[in-house]
Amino acid sequence: MATQDKRSDTSDFPEIINTDNLQSNMKSIYYSRTFLSIIGGVIAGIWGFTGFTGFVFYFVVMLAASFGLAAKAKFSADSYFDSWNRVLLDGILGGLMSFVLFWTFAYDIVHIF
Amino acid sequence: MADDLVLDTAIRNWVLVPLSVVMVLIGVLRYFVSKLIRSSQNPDTKAIKEGQAVIRARNLRSAAHLIPSKSFRSRRIYFTNEENGLLYVPKEEAQKAQAQMFQDPNMAMDMMKKNLSMIIPQTLTFAWVNFFFSGFVAAKIPFPLTPRFRSMLQNGIDLSTVDVSYVSSRSWYFLNLFGLRGFFSLILGEENATDDA
Repeated sequence: MATQDKRSDTSDFPEIINTDNLQSNMKSIYYSRTFLSIIGGVIAGIWGFTGFTGFVFYFVVMLAASFGLAAKAKFSADSYFDSWNRVLLDGILGGLMSFVLFWTFAYDIVHIF
Repeated sequence: MADDLVLDTAIRNWVLVPLSVVMVLIGVLRYFVSKLIRSSQNPDTKAIKEGQAVIRARNLRSAAHLIPSKSFRSRRIYFTNEENGLLYVPKEEAQKAQAQMFQDPNMAMDMMKKNLSMIIPQTLTFAWVNFFFSGFVAAKIPFPLTPRFRSMLQNGIDLSTVDVSYVSSRSWYFLNLFGLRGFFSLILGEENATDDA
């Protein structure tokens, strides 16, 4: 899902934010993070990460996702979002539960049963 | 202490996978049911007018620095003056409107339906899980937890020497409950009504 430019005024004044585009960008961040948590969970389970290593892996995946998102937004948060925090931090905790679920599932299927 | 229990493949086939599949299907079913049940509300003209006026006021507020201050002021007075301002609501009317909102049968019905449609499937599934899938180790969670969690996670298992990582199916149910929310948002798009919040 492509991110959409939301800036509609390029003068020196504070910008007007097109809320529809901003929301659609937020949604695309959320979807990509959720998807990556699920895939990361399956990978962590198959590789047999246990305990702390698994959580570290999750945060590594989230960092890679943040980096990818920043690169897609051409490293200028202002033209696509209203603050850097959204790009980097939003949705990380929400994805954690999905990660743990799929991690447990894959780990059990591959290693225990 | 047995550190590596070997669990029967049948548990995987007949407990983990069916439970997850059932929860996904119930979520999808709930989504469609809520879509069907949602009574088509005839839009109320007055409410829409007021909503649009609020949107106009919000646009005015956010773009206030771009228009000359005189025109901003005149627009603001148009909205808020006491005789015929679009957004001005006398105090008594405001309270009446709020009281009406709670007594309005349609809105109360909708709220109740939404709550019920969320609570009932959860309760039923939980009862089903407890009835059929209790008393044995269902899964092993890949990370260790402190022994205080033992009573919460291992409720059907009566041995106390089993590692806390080995959990019963009730905890698998809860894990699914929280973990599938992200999954539902991917496959159902927005408005999926599976948020517990």
